[in-house]
Amino acid sequence: MLEALWEGLLLVLQWKAFGFMLLGVGLGFWVGLLPGLGGATTLALMLPFIYTMQPVEAFAFLLGMHAVVATTGDITSVLFGVPGEATSAATVVDGYAMTKKGEAGRALGAALASSLVGAIVGAVALAAAIPIVRPLVLTFGSPELFMLAIVGLAFIASLSAQGTRGMLRGFLAGGLGLLLATVGQDPQAGVARFTFDTLYLWQGLDLVPVLVGIFAIPEIIDLFVRGNSIGGNAPPGNVAKGAWEGVKDTYRHFWLTIRCSLIGTFIGVMPGLGGSVAQWMAYGHAVQSAKTPEEREQFGRGDVRGVLGPGAANNSKEGGSLIPTIAFGVPGSTAMAILLGGFLLLGLVPGPDMLTKHLAVTYSMVWTIVLANVITVAVCFLFLDRMASVTEVKGHRLIPAILVLVFIGSYTSNSHYGDLLVTLVFGGVGYLMVRAGWPRSPFVLGLVLGKIAENYLYISVARYEAAWLTRPVVLVLIAVAVAVILYPFFQAYRSRSRV
Amino acid sequence: MKRRQLLVAAIGLAAAPLALAQSFAGKTVTIIVGYKPGGGYDATARLLARYLPKHLPGKPTVIVQNMPGGNSIIAANHMYNIAKPDGLTIGTFNRNLPIAQLTSVEGVKFDITRFQWVGSAANETTILAIRADLPYKTFDELRKAKEAVVIGSTGPGANTHDFPLLLKDLLGVNLKIVSGYSSSADIMLAVERGEVDGRAGSFTSLRPFIDRKLVRPIIRARSTEPGLEQLPVDESFAPNPRAKAIMALRSTPELIARPYVLPPKTPDAIVKAVRDAFAKTIADPELVAEGKKTKIELEFTPGDQAVKILAEVLNQPKDLVAEFAKYIKFGE
Repeated sequence: MLEALWEGLLLVLQWKAFGFMLLGVGLGFWVGLLPGLGGATTLALMLPFIYTMQPVEAFAFLLGMHAVVATTGDITSVLFGVPGEATSAATVVDGYAMTKKGEAGRALGAALASSLVGAIVGAVALAAAIPIVRPLVLTFGSPELFMLAIVGLAFIASLSAQGTRGMLRGFLAGGLGLLLATVGQDPQAGVARFTFDTLYLWQGLDLVPVLVGIFAIPEIIDLFVRGNSIGGNAPPGNVAKGAWEGVKDTYRHFWLTIRCSLIGTFIGVMPGLGGSVAQWMAYGHAVQSAKTPEEREQFGRGDVRGVLGPGAANNSKEGGSLIPTIAFGVPGSTAMAILLGGFLLLGLVPGPDMLTKHLAVTYSMVWTIVLANVITVAVCFLFLDRMASVTEVKGHRLIPAILVLVFIGSYTSNSHYGDLLVTLVFGGVGYLMVRAGWPRSPFVLGLVLGKIAENYLYISVARYEAAWLTRPVVLVLIAVAVAVILYPFFQAYRSRSRV
Repeated sequence: MKRRQLLVAAIGLAAAPLALAQSFAGKTVTIIVGYKPGGGYDATARLLARYLPKHLPGKPTVIVQNMPGGNSIIAANHMYNIAKPDGLTIGTFNRNLPIAQLTSVEGVKFDITRFQWVGSAANETTILAIRADLPYKTFDELRKAKEAVVIGSTGPGANTHDFPLLLKDLLGVNLKIVSGYSSSADIMLAVERGEVDGRAGSFTSLRPFIDRKLVRPIIRARSTEPGLEQLPVDESFAPNPRAKAIMALRSTPELIARPYVLPPKTPDAIVKAVRDAFAKTIADPELVAEGKKTKIELEFTPGDQAVKILAEVLNQPKDLVAEFAKYIKFGE
């Protein structure tokens, strides 16, 4: 196995493969930065270019591109409060808050360093999990996947403000998210729900326009009202020094970063959960790490741990999501489905063979993920000064540019004017929520997990009736969900008894 | 002799589409796909887009534009009402749109027969495959199954759902259909872990798993392809003509599984040029070789034939349509 690992590295380091990887990284860099334009669409566009390449070169190119999208997506999230990708929305919450406090450098440093750690952990986990991949994935049937979604929803307890009022608001926002997840044609009876007779809503609400609206629009309005620059009156300080501070933060909260990376990898392995779930669970876990209520209050107002968690998870999930694609020939996401097309094109049949006969190729993918991220992070650090200086630009110069990017970004999801309407409507909803002090993260979590929870619950009951509740992994996950919900109460109790 | 043949051919080629060569040269032809990237409709369109320029007169640029939504009704409405009939916009959409029109689905703003049909780039064979380790080796054995055989599906309107539904309701096969999986790949994983016993779907998508001996094909719908001829057809087991008609109606659109159309009122000369280009492109040995590798195997059904198949779908007595609509919902 070690031999294959080494062989895999040598395969990537061949000059041609390495060159193609650099090309891919360069493309992925921009795709990540631009809001909306997703990794999957770009993969589909790039597929024709691999026809003449060797398998290793092709994957260096495609994966190199795909692996860095989440990394540079975080940059947009941190600097503008606009999610660069659907998978980097959670970074907005604390990352952008830090930027507004004049800590752009530190937030970027933390986002980049944790992305790197995440990518490496994800790749190592992928490499280490290869022998046990098949049993691992097969243990998680529909009942288990449903319970994972419930565990995810339980994190709403951590994502809400403290106290009865805060919790109530959090769970109500989560409930609204769940409700909106039911929009569209339901997969059991084929009935169109809440579509108001529009074709656009048949497929349900698209995540990108909703996320871009709910996070970016309120910040743009806020910037406009304040009338100064994103960094406000806070002195930007020494960006390089701040960035170094961010790197040190990653080291200070090393185990948190590792744990969030593992959460990301695990969610990535589970086909059907989707990449946008991992970041929110990691964020919820990061909030749990706050030791006192005062510390918890700081989340959402620019706590660096709120950047580290999702930053790590949205990169580590890439390693994980390769697993079902490679081991079963069953893609876990749209991007992976397109990648699967690439596999076939190159004459590789994904499936058990990838774990034995073509193990070196599989490991070359692991290396590509790691190397692509190392290169991207290094390049980003070189340009950090330039990037952070954006926060000093006056709002009235910046807002038009951001608005254009926001609307183009949301329009890329369906090329339909409905995308723009959804962005505007959820921009309004987001603004009201911010003004009234309602948390936005539980809403997004509900929206992201709603369809998954509904479908897997239906399948579990249809297939096993009530017996699904007695499956051992389900029982463990029920316990985890309860623990996650009760943890904030336990924390509050502990700190009160201490005083 | 040979030279003379070439000469004749050259003159023929040069004379016929001269006017058209001017109309396509230096232009951009857009293929509108009614789905997002990542599926069969998109992959087929992108494959065609790479080889079409070679065969269209004037060698235009061909690009693909995705227009998802409403199970591709949005794209079809656009092709019917907005796209210009100049041959520069070609549309491809859900093969079941004729069914949507037949059952009067809301939002349909087209008459599918009035498109100028280029044709269909492929047909699709829907089969039911069950786990190879089940005791049922043939359809007759499956029919006699005492315990329900669990079939995973993505939801109504998809062939993963409708095909087994008719087997269950019209032929009385003891199936239990569990729907809600997010993709056919997801169902495959459920098969692998023993959560469900099998799934229906296109032969192309199931073939790797049949080759791996995970599942075994049991029965198919009327459309066929090499290697499947001896598999029994669902219609042949129909207890009465009505059941047979319903099964036939469900499967007929599979004969034109990758529809390509031009807007209504596109001049016949342009339609002919595009049709010819499609025929040549789909026969192009390079495309065939590439399609073999990526498991996109194409077979051209010219537009006039496609329209005949459409007529077969749409000319149904009202009561049959009403009964059909009880079982089948338009979707996916």
